[in-house]
Amino acid sequence: MANSSLNRKFDQIKKREEEKTFSTNKRSRIVNKFLNNRLAVIGLIIFTIIVLASIFAPILSPYDPMRVDLRSMRQPPSFDHWFGTDSTGRDVFARVLYGGRVSIFIGLGSAILSAVVGIAVGCYAGYKGGWIDVIALRVSEIFMSFPQIILVLLLVSITGQSLFNLMAIFIVTGWGGMYRLARARMLSLREEEYVQALRSFGLSTFTICYKHMLPNALSPIMVNITLSTAMFILTEAGLSFLGLGVPLNIPTWGNILNVAQDILILQNYWWMWGPVGIVISVFVLCVNFIGDGLRDSTDPSQQG
Amino acid sequence: MTTYIIQRLFIFFPMLLAISFLVYGGLELSPGDAVSHMISPELALSITAEQLEAMREAYGLNKSFLTRYWIWLTSMVQGDMGYSMAGGVAISEIMAKTVPATLELSLVALFFSTIIGCSLGVLSALKRGSATDNSLTVAGMAGVSIPEFFFGLVAILLFAIELQWLPVGGRLLPSYETVWDRIPNIVLPSLVLALMMTAGAMRYARSSMLDVLAREFITTARSKGMPEWRVNLLHGFRVALTPVVVLIGFRLPLLIGGSTIIEQVYQWPGIGNMFIRSVRGSDYPLVMTISLMYVFVVLTASLIIDVLTALIDPRVRLGKE
Amino acid sequence: MLASSVFYSIGGNMKKLYVVIVAVLAHLMFISSASAQPTNSNQLSDPRVRQALCMAIDMKTIGETLFEDQIIMADSLLPNGPYKSPNLPDYSYNPEKARQLLAEANWDSNRELDMVFYYGDQLTTDFMAAIQAYFADVGVKMTYRLLQGDVGAQLNSVPEDGVNGPAAVDYDLGYGARAAIAMQEYYNSFKTGLNPQTPGDPKMDALIEKINSSADPEVLKPYFFEIQEYQMEKANICPLYYQKLFIYESDKVSRNGEMYGNDQYNYDWKIENWKVDGGVLQTNTGPIEFFEQPWYNLGIWIHSKVVFDRLLVADGGLVPTGCSACESYDLAPDGMSLTFKLRDGLTWHDGDDFTVEDVAWSIRTAIKAPRIHSVVVNTVNSIKGAEAFKNGSTDDVAGIKYSIADRTITLEMATLDPNILTTFSQFAILPKHKLGDVDPNQLQQSDFWQMPVGSGPFKVTEVKMNDFAKLVPFDNYHGGKAGFDIIAYPSFDGDGNLIKNAAAGKMDYGFTKNVADVAALDAMANMSTKAVDIPYTRMMWIMQYPKP
Repeated sequence: MANSSLNRKFDQIKKREEEKTFSTNKRSRIVNKFLNNRLAVIGLIIFTIIVLASIFAPILSPYDPMRVDLRSMRQPPSFDHWFGTDSTGRDVFARVLYGGRVSIFIGLGSAILSAVVGIAVGCYAGYKGGWIDVIALRVSEIFMSFPQIILVLLLVSITGQSLFNLMAIFIVTGWGGMYRLARARMLSLREEEYVQALRSFGLSTFTICYKHMLPNALSPIMVNITLSTAMFILTEAGLSFLGLGVPLNIPTWGNILNVAQDILILQNYWWMWGPVGIVISVFVLCVNFIGDGLRDSTDPSQQG
Repeated sequence: MTTYIIQRLFIFFPMLLAISFLVYGGLELSPGDAVSHMISPELALSITAEQLEAMREAYGLNKSFLTRYWIWLTSMVQGDMGYSMAGGVAISEIMAKTVPATLELSLVALFFSTIIGCSLGVLSALKRGSATDNSLTVAGMAGVSIPEFFFGLVAILLFAIELQWLPVGGRLLPSYETVWDRIPNIVLPSLVLALMMTAGAMRYARSSMLDVLAREFITTARSKGMPEWRVNLLHGFRVALTPVVVLIGFRLPLLIGGSTIIEQVYQWPGIGNMFIRSVRGSDYPLVMTISLMYVFVVLTASLIIDVLTALIDPRVRLGKE
Repeated sequence: MLASSVFYSIGGNMKKLYVVIVAVLAHLMFISSASAQPTNSNQLSDPRVRQALCMAIDMKTIGETLFEDQIIMADSLLPNGPYKSPNLPDYSYNPEKARQLLAEANWDSNRELDMVFYYGDQLTTDFMAAIQAYFADVGVKMTYRLLQGDVGAQLNSVPEDGVNGPAAVDYDLGYGARAAIAMQEYYNSFKTGLNPQTPGDPKMDALIEKINSSADPEVLKPYFFEIQEYQMEKANICPLYYQKLFIYESDKVSRNGEMYGNDQYNYDWKIENWKVDGGVLQTNTGPIEFFEQPWYNLGIWIHSKVVFDRLLVADGGLVPTGCSACESYDLAPDGMSLTFKLRDGLTWHDGDDFTVEDVAWSIRTAIKAPRIHSVVVNTVNSIKGAEAFKNGSTDDVAGIKYSIADRTITLEMATLDPNILTTFSQFAILPKHKLGDVDPNQLQQSDFWQMPVGSGPFKVTEVKMNDFAKLVPFDNYHGGKAGFDIIAYPSFDGDGNLIKNAAAGKMDYGFTKNVADVAALDAMANMSTKAVDIPYTRMMWIMQYPKP
């Protein structure tokens, strides 16, 4: 009981503090700095456009991405089919939009989930220390002692190919980095005076850890999420090239781009791979710009 | 310092052991075994259950999981990597053929990416904020944003098929006698691979150059009236590039794993190529050896980094990891 | 699994009897009900549903578009030719009829059929998407997935009860192919207890016995008509198309008048007489880690075809025509004994004599070794005493008699094998002096396969595994010495490297079944392709057993 009233009190203090910090220039300097980074802003705009286009795909394209029409296969771009049609007469524009849904879901979803797992474990273990910390550290070391693509390949062959498995694998291989980051942050914050103070008031570990310490580690976490998103989207494409990605019946950017393996298509039917190749590259580039912008605006040691 | 290294080593081998057990167990859980992959589906109906059983027995696959792991582990410890299941080739022999191929590709790519990355990074830093700086940053980022297989295929289409300047792939030909004959084959794969690495080197070189340029001794040199280019060349580069080169050296493990897809695109007979084949064929002994080799390289590299960082920066102490 | 072994073991008589009784009982039950009815809880056991599925797919349009007009429509398992029945039911595209049959059968439109396949290429995925669309058009839902892991077990596991099921595998439909060098191969797997999808049926068993009863094509022909008509009326499978094989050659190669044929196997192509400009023939199917032994994939790999020799040769359609390593051969009129006399002065590439002892050793090893082509397995297992030798009760095969001095070897058969000559036109003889002490179960594991020694027109001289293998003409080949070397790269039909390599002038000869490759090759000025009809039927399997 006493604890919960204490909790509320600190929540109020924290709220006031946050409101205050918003009005002073600490946060806004970060935002300003981000907005001043022209590349990051352009990246954010294009990123938003692509995400929205994928979400509102049914409005943007009248075609069903799975609708086969054999008699109109491999048609060049036209007014009817903006990006032309593929080998089974499906509309490439619709496929790129719907494929974006899956690819972005895989990329962003896996990045966020692996961040959640990594942070949850990292904060807790980092703050608590002891055997939990030792075990978590060793487990993360095991996952991090493989080159990423090798571990993914190994796990895909063990679990088999499916959308769900792929995301699970991305999370399993991706949480380690975030865990270490969060843990290191916690270790240094743990010794800070305000945390010591909170502890002396008898707040629970959980509360101190997630409510009061975590927000101070948020910016590097954001950077990490964006960079992981970019990496996962590229890995998905690479896996589909190796025939180990999302099953081919689900349109993803990687699966659509995979037709470029056929040199005949590469040479003669540019619209089957060109647009999707550009969209993947531009999307990943934008995500990288955003990540870069975030890093520069939040990390005072990285200037320029 | 010595205690630190000993302590790291104390973790090193149990880690390898745990990983080997996990990988072996994972492979055990995966559907199908080496025998099932030797039978093509088209001809599967013609093989009887007894024949399959006899094959499993001959390959020792019907022993219990722990027994097989123990046999594998004990022979591995004695330096015997065993034999590939598909063709009974000694794994040491396979490694002796594929590891040099991958190293060759990776080192050349590393060389290219370091040269390109560092010079562009330094250029960027010197022209900080200019259009050159910005466009170099964008170009570097673009390099890591294009799916590498796609980039590789387009490069093949352009340089090998349309222009016919370079071979489409492969590493050796019967007519190749000297190292010079082999150069055309390595140009495309290593450049494409290098491009993937350039952005990182460039970013690092740029920021470390900026760092150095702000330091006192540069200001001093400048104030002594030394021409700008000499300041940059003699003092700036040397100091800025040392950490960059060290860093890039440690990226080698990444490069070994990172060449997997490029090896596939360019029919390069390296370790990545072999790894994919063995994973697809459930060739356990081969998968085990190759994965452990990767793990060994990564762990060793991180051990060296730890030790070096500890040597350079005395603030890093044990227990404060 | 149990049932599949019955026909191979002498000790399985009791089980065989049991299976037959169960089959007869089931058959009586089947006859007592109306013929167009499901036979179990699975609606796919209703022939009307299966017929409807076959009629729902517009193979003609698919052939003209996806397959670039490079396939032959199929109406039964057997390829077009002398054995093709003239009275087959018509299952060509007819969506109205399909809808009507499905309505009659009360098809549950909520059921989603699960289609499996095992080719990882883009074309197959596109083909699946097309079939999915055609099925949707008649009101049948279908999803498709690529099999992974133990494909053989997931595809071909046979139910323990070969009549009533339940199924040992969990799919509803399967897409795949059957390649055969003997027509019987198409049907033998439909025997009761051997088929993963189709329940056993005494009439089918009787028909299968008939098509295996003679070596005389004229005797067999009416039986083949009968079995084809019977199977197609029941629509136990949907034949989709006949695959052609495409042989491609660069303008540096001329066959010099020698024949073209089924390049997946061995035939009388007389490669030693070909002319190759520049003296080097570049091809694919080179070794990766090792050379594959030539008794399973009989002629897929270039080394299987040119490094080893066979006793007999066949024509391009794989019909045996005469001698290769033999000087003469004699098949008894009843087909129960076969004698070969070897040519004089044959040697292996390393100079050792090639004798009938090598032949006898090869046959003995093939009896025991796993991973042998089914036609070869049938032949060697039909030899007198093979069974006893296989299970270890004798050290020798009673039916193999030879004399090194006379260069003759005689095989006495326990049961008739209609394809015995086909076998010996495909079965490579391996050198006993090199492989004699190998465990047959680990045949492929021998060091020999790093640099094999054969007796064919080319010998292996240089191998850089996973880079290339170099084969040079063998001086002492009985057909004469070839005038060019062969360089084989480790790339395959369908791995995507073929077109890249051909475009860069790194490919002079090879074969493919991928029509996308053909279109690309035809577009190259220096390459030409030639289509060859082969017995290779692509079909859709339909699971009739109840779900496991």
